[in-house]
Formats: sequence, C-alpha cells, structure tokens
Amino acid sequence: MATAGRTARPRVAVAKFASCDGCQLTILDLEDQLLEIVSRFDIVEFPEATSRRSPGPYDIVFVEGSISAPEHIDAIKELRKQARILVAIGACATAGGIQAMRNWADHDAYRAAVYDHPEWVESLAKATPVAEHVKVDLELRGCPIDGGQLLELMTAVLVGRRPQIREEAVCHECKRKGTVCMVVATGRACMGPVTTSGCNALCPTYDRGCYGCFGPRTNGNAKSWSKGLLRSGRPPEEVWRLFAGFTGYAEPFRSVITELGKAKAKT
Amino acid sequence: MITSPAPSPTAAARQWFLARGDLGALVEAIRGTGRRVIGPTIRDGAIVYDEIQAAADLPAGWRDQQSAGQYRLERSTDERTFGYSVGPTPWKRFTFPPNLPIATAHRTNTVAFDQPVPDVPSLAFLGVRACEIAALGIQDRVFLGGQFTDEDFRARRSAAFIVAVQCSTSSSTCFCTSMGTGPEVRGGYDILLTELDEGFVIQTGSPGGAAIVAELPTRQPSHAEVGAAVDSVEAVRTQMGEPLPMAGIDERLKLQLDHPRWAQVAERCVECGNCTMSCPTCFCTSVIEESDMDGKSSRTERQWDSCFDVAFAKVAGGDFRARPRDRYRQWLTHKFSTWFDQFGSSGCVGCGRCITWCPVRIDVREELAAIAPPIAPVVQPVAVEPVAASPGTFSIARLASIKAETEDTTTLSLTDVDPAFLGGRPGQFVMIALPAFPAVPISISRFRSNGIDLTIRAVGATSTALVNLHPGARVGLRGPLGTFWPIQEAYGRHAVVVAGGVGLSPLHGLVDALVANHDRFESISLFYGSRTPEERLFRDDLAAWSASKEIDVAVTVDRAGPEWKGRVGVVTTLFDMISWDCTKVTAFVVGPERMMQASVQGLISKGVPADRICVSMERHMECGIGLCGHCQMAGRFVCKDGPVFRLNDLGDMFNREGI
Repeated sequence: MATAGRTARPRVAVAKFASCDGCQLTILDLEDQLLEIVSRFDIVEFPEATSRRSPGPYDIVFVEGSISAPEHIDAIKELRKQARILVAIGACATAGGIQAMRNWADHDAYRAAVYDHPEWVESLAKATPVAEHVKVDLELRGCPIDGGQLLELMTAVLVGRRPQIREEAVCHECKRKGTVCMVVATGRACMGPVTTSGCNALCPTYDRGCYGCFGPRTNGNAKSWSKGLLRSGRPPEEVWRLFAGFTGYAEPFRSVITELGKAKAKT
Repeated sequence: MITSPAPSPTAAARQWFLARGDLGALVEAIRGTGRRVIGPTIRDGAIVYDEIQAAADLPAGWRDQQSAGQYRLERSTDERTFGYSVGPTPWKRFTFPPNLPIATAHRTNTVAFDQPVPDVPSLAFLGVRACEIAALGIQDRVFLGGQFTDEDFRARRSAAFIVAVQCSTSSSTCFCTSMGTGPEVRGGYDILLTELDEGFVIQTGSPGGAAIVAELPTRQPSHAEVGAAVDSVEAVRTQMGEPLPMAGIDERLKLQLDHPRWAQVAERCVECGNCTMSCPTCFCTSVIEESDMDGKSSRTERQWDSCFDVAFAKVAGGDFRARPRDRYRQWLTHKFSTWFDQFGSSGCVGCGRCITWCPVRIDVREELAAIAPPIAPVVQPVAVEPVAASPGTFSIARLASIKAETEDTTTLSLTDVDPAFLGGRPGQFVMIALPAFPAVPISISRFRSNGIDLTIRAVGATSTALVNLHPGARVGLRGPLGTFWPIQEAYGRHAVVVAGGVGLSPLHGLVDALVANHDRFESISLFYGSRTPEERLFRDDLAAWSASKEIDVAVTVDRAGPEWKGRVGVVTTLFDMISWDCTKVTAFVVGPERMMQASVQGLISKGVPADRICVSMERHMECGIGLCGHCQMAGRFVCKDGPVFRLNDLGDMFNREGI
C-alpha cells in the first residue's frame, strides 16, 4: 500500500472461522516486531487480542479457519465486501484444515460419534477453504503460518510489492540446512517432496517427517509420491493418513486421497 | 588448492606410514595451523561432512549400504576410519555455500548497493574422494574458467586444504570408473591417505601438505605396505565391474530430445530437487530479497536452487519449461551433454548421490541407458579381398534356385560361393560370367548364410542366358567389388531408403541390414516407386516389411490397373509422408538417373543435408576394377570409387548431362 504512507495506517482486521486460533497466535508471537507492526498498521478488529470491535471497511483482512458451519458462508461474503485485500491464513483457511478429513466421511456419523446431542450442532457436510466461497487475494500456508512469511507479506503490502513467498519443495530447505533425508537414511515417511516450503523444514530439522501442513506444491507429483510410500511397504491406510492430514482437501492431495480411499474400499 | 603444484619427482615418490592410532595427530597438526577441519562424522543416520575436533569424531568402524533411494549405516567388521563411500554432503557446501549474502541495499536520498567482503573461513577438507576432487575441479571451471568469475568461490576454494582419501570400497550407486574420475585419486590434494588395516600410507601433493606430514609420527612404509596401498585401490576398481558405455553420451543425448522416456521418468520424478542439491557440481542459484518494513534497506541472499523447481524457468509471460519432462530433460542433458559445450567436460563425476538420495529411486544410469543407449562401436569388417580380381579368372558358384520377380527380372540364388562373397557388404556388386558370354556387373541383392542373391534384368546376351539357367548350373563370379552403403552414418538418425524400379535390387541388402539393427536408428523408411504394380520387385519381401514394426514401407506406381489400391504418382510424391526433422535423415537413393535427381532435389528441399544422401551410380562396367576405362565419371571410376557415393562427393557431376 504505497499510497497509504505513514499518515494513514492501513486498517487491519483479523477474523476466524473453524480453526484453533494458532495462526492468530502467530501474529501475537511476533513479539520483537509487534510495536513496529502496530505503529504501521491500525489493527481495529482482532478478537483473539482485544474485545474492542470495529466495523469495516478494512484495508486488510486476515482470515483464519475453514468454512465449516452454515453461518460462515454469509459471514465470509460480508467480510469480502468489507476487505480491500483479503488474506487467507493457515491450513484451515487455505485448504480446509484437519477438519476437512470429514469431507471423505459420513458427516452425520461423525457428528453422532463426537457429540452427545448432535442435533444441537449445525455444521456443513464439508469443511472448505475460503477460496471456495470468495476471491482470496493472498494466502499464507501452514499449520500454523510462519511468522517470517507473515512479516514479509505485511512488509510487501506496506512497500507496495508482491510478497516474495517461494513455492519450493521442503526438500530444498532440508538440503540447504544440511539435514540428512530421513526417507533415504531411515525409511521413515515424510511429505517434504510434495509439500510447499515456508517452514524452513521445521519438522525434519527436529527429526520428524514433514506433515504436509504447508500444503501441496503447485503441480507437485503427489501421485508418484503416494506410490513411493506404498512401494516402501506402507499399507494404504497409513499413506491415506499422511496425505489427509492438514491439507488433504487441496489438490493434488485430494485426488490421491480419493484414489487411496478406493483402494482401501477394495481391500 | 585450485591447482596443486606439481610435486617434485622425489616428493612424488616419497611415502610415509602413519599408524592408525596416530590419525589424531594429523587432525591436531592441521588444527594447529589455524584451520578448522571438516570431515566425515555420523549424524542423523548418515556419514556427513561436518566439523571434526578430534579423531574420535571420525566414523571408525562404520560402513554404508547404498542403493537407489536408500542409505543405511552399519557396524563394520573392521575398525577402518574411511571404509565407506560418499555420503549426502557434497563438498560444494563449503566452497559454494547454500545461503550466501551477496548484497545489501539502502534507500535514503539516493540508493546504494553494497557488496559484503567475503568472510572466508580457513578450512581443511579431510576425506575427499577421487570423484569429489573431480567435482571441485568441475566447479573451478564453472566459476573461475570464464570471463566472469565467482570471487567468493575463489576465496573459499583457495583457502581449502585438501586431505584426500583413496576409496577402499564402493557402493552400488558409485560409477566413477564410468565417468573417468576414479577410483584412484590422481592429484588435486595437499595430502593423500590410503588406508590399510594397520594405518595409512601417506603421500603429499604440496609444500603445505609436506609441512604437515613432517610434524607427524610417521615411519617409512614397507614394500608390502606400499604394494597393499596400490592393490587396495585396484580392488575397488574390480569391485565396481565394467564401466558403463559413456562414449559419445553428449551426442547420443542430443539425438534423443524427443524420446518418450522423458515423459515416463517425469511421471515418477517428484521434482524434489534432491538430486541437484546433493550433486557436487550443480551450481544453480536464485536470489531472495529481505527488506525492512518501510523498504528502506534490504539484504540480498543467494540460495541454492534447482532446475526442477517449477518457478526456475518462469518469466512474466509463462514458463519455458512448463512440464516435468522438460525439467527432467534439462537436468539430464545439461549434466551429461550440454555441460561439455559450456565447460568442456561432463558435469557428472559418477558419485551416485543423485541415485542414493532420490526418494523415488530414479537411477540416472538406467535413464541414460534407456534414453540414449550406447551405439556399439562400429566393427569395421576385415576388408574383404575380392576373389578372382583379375578380369580373366573366376570363382565358381552353383545356382541353388531361381525366382521370377517380374516379366523380365529374375533373382538367382547362388550357393557354394567363395567365403569372400559372404563377407561382402550391401551396395557392392559382382562380375558374373558364363563360358561364351562376357562378364556383366550385377549388384548383390541379398546376403544369405550360405550364399548371395543376384537380381538380373534380362536385357542383354549374358543376362538372358543367366535367367534361363536351371538350378545346379555353375557360373563364374568375381568380387565382391566396389563401395558399399555407409550404414553406420545413419546410426541415431532416420534412415530413409528411396528406390525406383530395379534400383531396389542394390538396396535390398541395405534394408535387410537396417531392419536387423533397427534399434540403432530413430526410424527406418522405404519409399519405392515402380512404373506399374507388376514391375515391383521382391513383392513377398515388400509385404513382409510392410507388416513389420521395424520399417515403414510406402509404394507408389506411375500407372495402375483397376486392381491397384495403392498410391499412384512418382516416388517423390511419397515424401509428403515425411513428418520428422529432415536434418536428422540419412537417405540412400537408387533408381534411374532422372528419378534419383528428382528424389535428391526433393530430399534436399525437405532439409536433408547433402552429405547425408548416398546414391548408387550406374555406368558401363567391363572390368570392375578400374582398369578398362569404361565407367569413368569425371574423376572417378564408378566400379572402384563407387558405385555408392555420398552426394556431396559427386558435387555438380551428379546432376549434369553427358558426364
């Protein structure tokens, strides 16, 4: 927002739908930069941080969470109307999140299994990303989002350029860090080859396989990777779970899960 | 060191022995010069290159098992320190860092860009293998060999002290012997270690190396130890087996840019980039900018990138290598082919990292073999000395069978021939005679295991007499004579055979040879033009060829009766069917001279290079050996210098009346 300058700070709102609030917390976790952020942005709506409410229009709206309940649909459309730039943040808002695992299941059966009074719960049969309902201007991936990418996005909005958010394989980050590939060296599963970077290979750095929380790479070869995981002796259920985790409803993970579901049904 | 100073002959011959227990003294001596030692150490289930404080950090007693997509460490049966092959870390990590700040920029009243002064640590690389020294040399050429140089690389490379180690074992993924980079270290080191059971045979390659070795508690090695050091490296070579056929791989790949395998391998490839990041020579990078929130100051960092990244070849209007197959092809052809054009060598040293660290187990050796199979070295047959070369003498052969091809053309199958005829080549001819009939030149139309076929048009006295013979009759033969079709010049290309009328006869043996070696050619086609359907030669063979997958056959006739369902028109009309890149065509043309002229013009207008068109010329031949003068064609005797010529060798004699 190059034209806004210093005098008119952009009005920022942070909103949430079905989500755990972890992405909003990532904003609050930017402790070293918070003072600079509030000096440059006018954060007028942020229920996680303050009970002060302020109606739109907003320059930037950060939206966390998936569209999961009937009232979310109107709410996100209204937010879109109020937002000059709408940014979907996190795996739920960009891919449907972990709650989208129900998209392959019997919604009523899930509801009955979890709640004593399922009739009190109003939810949609599918949890869907924000972009299925309204136009999204920018996305930040991850569960939760990466603070560095969030700062880069805010900086880009202020400076008036596109954010430089690369979409590489997580493997690139591992290799630059010198992390030994656990798939090759130990045989453990990792979603890194088909997952978008941005976390600086956080999980592999701590000796855990990538969970795919940043979602599928654009045109990533998820199909081949699912075959590779099956070929290494894993049962389809396990591979299904690897893909269906945080971002399974995003393509091409979604197609892989559907295929694996068919394979599961056959066995 | 970038170039190791040539050791003096005495220094080169000089060797020392360091007991196993004293290896720590080497680490200490190097550290004593102010260098940090980087060497093999175990981390996360692999032997990586990282800082070594003492000999205890080295992986003594461990070995690795590597295969495509798999690496495992296991306890070794001995206590050797270097008893494994290369791990996941390429040394480029320390000469060409994965993340390197290259500039800062500031905006105040004006703009300013500053380049940081390289902050180069003083390092020693311990345990550098032969393939890795070759890789450092390749990056020297990439970064320092051209007009523009990478000064950060130069500083790091110059500062590095190299302690090389001879490999004492190899992995299934190793192929240094195929790339000519190992297993033995031949130079490029300051100190070279060869590990034996009891310790290390040491050689030095620079004064710096000699100075370090002088501080060590060494002794003179025994003859047995020196011999064992040599044997140890040779044993690795034996362990690795036959090298892959890499000869001409750069040219072989250039011929295969449209191979269907590119799409097949791309279906498996997940484009994670692990091959390129693990590769010790891959040098692609991208830069990223980080700015403060008001955009007044920023920092530029260079990062390792990969040509497999979907954004790597993108521009505002789209992606130059949009498909995975394009990106895989880019990597493989750069590494094994176009690298030669840019840097004068292969970009591959055969370390095998791209195979081991590929999570979907793609083995570059298998891809190369499938995409650009080796063209077997051309075995030049022993030059066949013609029998009965002298015009008056003949070798006797027996007529085995006789077959009418058309109303006036007949094929004689001769057997009991002199072995020299069996060693003849498609395109050559014989002189054949009967008592009382002068010898006539006839092309060999077919080579059989026990004889040859001659296809003869009955137009003169001798030919009429020949076609009226009965099986069992004896004839006189001289030959085989003349030049033959240079089949190997069509290897890797589209072989196109163009025949007119009885011109198919000298081409029949060529077609047989092409079909027998069909996998050496991009494609094989026969275009055959005949005056009428009835005048087609070898109709059974044409039908068999048409039915086979190895050759495409197209036939046209000038005049057709109601029975004919095929094409009508001169042979050049068939050229419309050519859909491939004609610069990759090698053509073989025989027929009446007018037909050959039209065909050659047609081929050239399609883009076939003139030096890739071969023709067989007909002239009056009496002696067959260049002594009678009948068959002269400008400066050539067609019988001896021909009948097969490359078009460009004939120059403007080919298309000239009255020559």
